[in-house]
Amino acid sequence: MSQEKILVVDDDPDVRLGLQLRLNANHYEVITAGDGVASIAEARKHMPDLMILDLGLPAGDGFSVLERLKANEKLSSIPVIVLSGRDRVGNRDRAIKAGARTFLQKPMANEKLLAVIRMVLDAKGRTPEVVYDLVDPLS
Amino acid sequence: MRKKALQVLLVEDNAGDARLLREMFSKEAAGSFELVHLTHMREAEDRLRAGGVDIVLLDMGLPDGHGLETLRRARAAAPEVVMIVLTGMEDEELAAEAMKEGAQDYLIKGQIENRALPRALRHAIERQRMQRETEQMRKNEVQLRDEFLSHVSHELRSPLTSIYSFSTIIADGLAGETTPQQNDYLQIILRNVHQLQAMIEDLLQVTRAQAHKLSVDLESVPLNEAIGYAVDTLRGAATEKKIHLSFQPSARLPSVFGDATRVRQVLTILLDNAVKFTPAGGTVKVEAGEYEKDESMLLIEVSDTGCGISPEASDRIFEHLYQVTDPGHAGRRGLGLGLHIAKDLVTRQGGKIWVRSELEKGSQFFFTLPIFSLAGVIRPILTNDKSAGDSLALITADVECRDGSPDVPRKTLDVARMVLQQCLRADSDILLPGIGPVCEHKRFFVVANTRQSGAESIGSRIQNQLRRHEEFQSDNFTFTISHSFLPPLIRAANETMEAFAEQVAAEVRDHINDVCLQGAI
Repeated sequence: MSQEKILVVDDDPDVRLGLQLRLNANHYEVITAGDGVASIAEARKHMPDLMILDLGLPAGDGFSVLERLKANEKLSSIPVIVLSGRDRVGNRDRAIKAGARTFLQKPMANEKLLAVIRMVLDAKGRTPEVVYDLVDPLS
Repeated sequence: MRKKALQVLLVEDNAGDARLLREMFSKEAAGSFELVHLTHMREAEDRLRAGGVDIVLLDMGLPDGHGLETLRRARAAAPEVVMIVLTGMEDEELAAEAMKEGAQDYLIKGQIENRALPRALRHAIERQRMQRETEQMRKNEVQLRDEFLSHVSHELRSPLTSIYSFSTIIADGLAGETTPQQNDYLQIILRNVHQLQAMIEDLLQVTRAQAHKLSVDLESVPLNEAIGYAVDTLRGAATEKKIHLSFQPSARLPSVFGDATRVRQVLTILLDNAVKFTPAGGTVKVEAGEYEKDESMLLIEVSDTGCGISPEASDRIFEHLYQVTDPGHAGRRGLGLGLHIAKDLVTRQGGKIWVRSELEKGSQFFFTLPIFSLAGVIRPILTNDKSAGDSLALITADVECRDGSPDVPRKTLDVARMVLQQCLRADSDILLPGIGPVCEHKRFFVVANTRQSGAESIGSRIQNQLRRHEEFQSDNFTFTISHSFLPPLIRAANETMEAFAEQVAAEVRDHINDVCLQGAI
């Protein structure tokens, strides 16, 4: 079976590299993008199995990326996990309403992030289902 | 541009005094003042509630109001309007009290010079404006500081993410083998990452706590639910540490008079601490019941079998930024703000918080909250006079979204509550606090000690004031105001006011249930 592809979108290159190394080590193929426009372009090009999306991005923030994905028939099937430093209050509901599967707050413990990624990927093909965060950041 | 005339309300029952004061205004340029003269407090209150008055000249001895009470009633009717009290020559003490209660100035009758009165009015208005500006500036500063802290805290999360992620990448050997010593050092980095993260959360919580400083909204809170919520929140953390977390809900627990969100917050802080400081295999327990020392309060206890707190620390543990510095507790994290926030919240709900603790044995945190008593809320509007039966109306005001959405925004409800409050007469109407699950909070209840025509006029005043408020200009909301009367209640000769109030409260409760049921059908 070929590797599952994850598109990591974050404007901080350190965060991108950190996630890439961690995900590679867990046998995921990783593509990265640093802004809103690039994220849509990469998604079109690679059709990833999952997108991990930051909210504060140049050239179209996370919410506008979610809207564009939703508006595109092909891309709307890509499940999105929002991973953001912004407050859960307000942003989580907004992100989920805009189509994200769940909202995780930075910094997120590795095991928990990996568990949520697994849950979302396994739910693929079935009715989209919100994986509410049973997860607190880090501890 | 021509200035708008200042609207002056003179409340004075002595015809001679009133004439003198009016004459002083007659010398002013036409159009600079407009004077309305009333002789009774009741009329003045109605006039003030109707709005448009800039300044009040208030005599403190009226046929239907005396002393400071007149000022309080006037301020309750129109908190923003400038008040100047008129006192007699021997009454300077009273004048000083009035200033403390928010009067902007006082004038002693018989000592007012002709030209001085209009000038005093203008100065009073100017002074109030400046006070308000200063207050606004202070608020802006606090807000700026909170926004800054909040911004900084969010910005800190991103670099922290990278420190965490690369430390774990190295520690997990993803970048090559590490020596045991390198691994130990990486664990030190990670421990500090956790600490820093807890601090960021604390900082955010404080800015949130301060941003909501004024929003403790008292209502009837079912305590079992609040405790259940907090226990569920901490269940995961407790299980992870193999700590036994227990709470036995009691069916007989009365509701408390508090703010549901804040009660949950206090419990969450205490439970979070208890779980944090209790070693694996320990016990954390929540109990609630009557408070022996004060039967109007409930006592809630959160106890643990943790490391305990030294007597010196017990005294200071609720202080701002205080942290236990004992090196034996190096495992603890955070800025030490949790208990400070808890104390602030408990105090603002009328309770007390304290701790009893023994090192290495565990801690018991206690706090009290007032028991909700409908009788206590209604008692002040009941007539003491035995011969006068009270005629009580229950006025219901419903706020609904025009688009049929079930959720009226919290802010809108807050505004509606404030407007309603302003429509009431201080000594004979009561706006009931939100009464827990019985009814949703977009329905307001007023108990008014009044006859038929009075209930109608309060109803239409509420309707008008709500419509006029800017919050409701958008026309997104509808109001339904209705009223019904309680069966006539007469206090028996040997019945105490307290017992009578209980009887009235039972009627009110029945009535509210009826109204809510009708709505449901």
